[in-house]
Amino acid sequence: MNTGLLIALLLSIIRLSTPMFVAGLGNMYSERVGVLNLGAEGMMVSGAFAAVLGSYYFGNPWIGVLCGILGGLIAGALHAVICVEFGGIHAISGIGITIVFGGITRFLCISIFGSTFTPNVSALRTTDFLAGLPVVGEFLSAISPLVYIGLILLVVSYFVIFRTPYGLRVQMVGDDPKTVETAGIDVWKMRYSGVLICGVLCGLAGAFMSLGHLDRFFEGMIAGRGMLAVIAVKMGKWEPKGILLTALLFGFLDALQLQLQISGFLNIPPEMLQILPFIGGIAVLSMRSDIARLGALDTQYLRNKYKF
Amino acid sequence: MKEKALSAALRIWRKGNLKSAFTPIIIILISFLFSAIWLLAMGNNPLRAYQALFAGAFGSTSGFVNTIRLSVPIAFASFAVLVSIKANVFNIGAEGQLLMGAFTATLAGIYIRGLPAFLHIPLALAAAALGGMLFVLIPALLHIKRGVNLLVVLLLTNSIAAFLLQYFVLDAFASANAIIPSTERILASAQLPFFIGPPHRLSIAFFFVIIAAILLELFFRRSTAGYEIRAVGLNADAARYAGINANKLKLRGLFLSGALAGIGGGLEILGTHYHLYVDFSPGFGFDGIPIALLSGGSALVSVVGSILFSALRTGSLTMQARVGVSSEMISLIQGALILCIASNYFVRYLLNRKSKGSDKDRDKDGSKDKDKDKSEGTDKSDKKAVQP
Repeated sequence: MNTGLLIALLLSIIRLSTPMFVAGLGNMYSERVGVLNLGAEGMMVSGAFAAVLGSYYFGNPWIGVLCGILGGLIAGALHAVICVEFGGIHAISGIGITIVFGGITRFLCISIFGSTFTPNVSALRTTDFLAGLPVVGEFLSAISPLVYIGLILLVVSYFVIFRTPYGLRVQMVGDDPKTVETAGIDVWKMRYSGVLICGVLCGLAGAFMSLGHLDRFFEGMIAGRGMLAVIAVKMGKWEPKGILLTALLFGFLDALQLQLQISGFLNIPPEMLQILPFIGGIAVLSMRSDIARLGALDTQYLRNKYKF
Repeated sequence: MKEKALSAALRIWRKGNLKSAFTPIIIILISFLFSAIWLLAMGNNPLRAYQALFAGAFGSTSGFVNTIRLSVPIAFASFAVLVSIKANVFNIGAEGQLLMGAFTATLAGIYIRGLPAFLHIPLALAAAALGGMLFVLIPALLHIKRGVNLLVVLLLTNSIAAFLLQYFVLDAFASANAIIPSTERILASAQLPFFIGPPHRLSIAFFFVIIAAILLELFFRRSTAGYEIRAVGLNADAARYAGINANKLKLRGLFLSGALAGIGGGLEILGTHYHLYVDFSPGFGFDGIPIALLSGGSALVSVVGSILFSALRTGSLTMQARVGVSSEMISLIQGALILCIASNYFVRYLLNRKSKGSDKDRDKDGSKDKDKDKSEGTDKSDKKAVQP
């Protein structure tokens, strides 16, 4: 294998694993406050479409990214209201979020652009100001700036979760909300914050998919990556480092299948190759049977006034 | 006289019989309202759109026939979800199992030769059931043996099934002389006979739905096996004390669920399309989820729900042609339904509060019940709320 191919594979891995670890990071907050988020897929779709819409109307990809974050935030807010305020069933709400935002984006895409894909918009696929660096400049500038933002968020998340009072509270709420409420902490505020952060990060991951990796939105572009992000969180034991490693594994499988598809090396049909990350996901899930579960994950915690 | 009737109505309401029937209607209304907002936002008249929707589904013979035909896979998907919920496992992989069932039924329809129709059709349907069951086997074993989150695995298998179907249709079993990429046509002996012949072409598949619904009702009400599944679903601990092996029954529930979803896919091929192509299912498996959750645990009610849902699907095409609203609106209604079902506790709370306000002289039993509920502790981790 020559160096050119190796570098291409490496770039491919980084590009493909970024949305999964950013969305996974978001899901970490959500699951740590006790809200299971199967709607990551929907939040990412919402973010991806809103990002393209923003970039299309304002002509500036950074405004597009902000719109994408907003799109994810809206989806996250809906999930938060249902799961935190209404005492809803997390899994069903998550599926609903995925279907609703899949529907809204397709509906809007057809209404606005007349087809299931958008025209090309200005995107953020390269980081030009790093190009001047010696030796590594070419490599580093070939990646979207959103990847670096994701890495910064990774470090920040580590500190927030393990080194700040807020992070400690997040950990406690996910473990035992009743005790936390007794200690005078607003459980619902904590839960809201976790799910909303999740929405923001999933929106960013979606924006990366549509603006950082490609330069348009089309139907079905997320293609199960939200679910892989959910798995990455469980496999990564709800820690930023673990999530990054699992996302890299999925990214590697994804990049591998793409390379095999392009090179036609083993002559495997492309559809069989595309299954690879999902098989990997199931294999990863089955290896981790002894997960130390979060105490309050996927439970309802109702305000007193809503009891009857 | 009038007051008497009113108080009688209120009594029924308080008892919850009417209320539990009322909640689904409220939920359906909310989701129609939700998509109406989106229609308005895009500059369409929602009333005209819904009118076209209704006219398309029930206004003409062909529309009505289409509605009935399309309700078959949806009904089987809803049965699949219903059975799984009764066994306290939630099969959101019905879509994947349906695709696999359609595939195995197609294989049986093409490659088993020389059989008369009365043998070939049941054999193909058995193949469909087997396909659905095999596809649920790995997630079920992972869940039971390794404690893996079932929902996550099942959602992954949906993606896998979609890719597998593409592989089968585009590569492995692709027909050389098809206009759109598809498999070979199934043999005439595997095709379901028509109930209403051309031009409407309604096969007898709908009778399978009714038979299956009745069998399921009998299974859960009258048979020991069905009772055991229900018992595990209602209270796994109590069932374990009674000597029921919960894991075995979960597995049984999932297998039955997968088989039903597979048969739904099989019937769609044997009765309607006669060959398998990639996009034959617009998401039947996901349609089954809200229907099963709203049906209150009854297979017969799910049949009605499936007809309504397939009316949405057929009507949406007319709506697209006449009013120019994208038929994608269906997934908005569907998603909104699921979101409302997720917050079903809150909808019930709102209804309950209203009935409390309008009726001050609550009888003693009612208030006692209320107090009892209140003392149940702060964190109501009622995953049982899924339970119909």
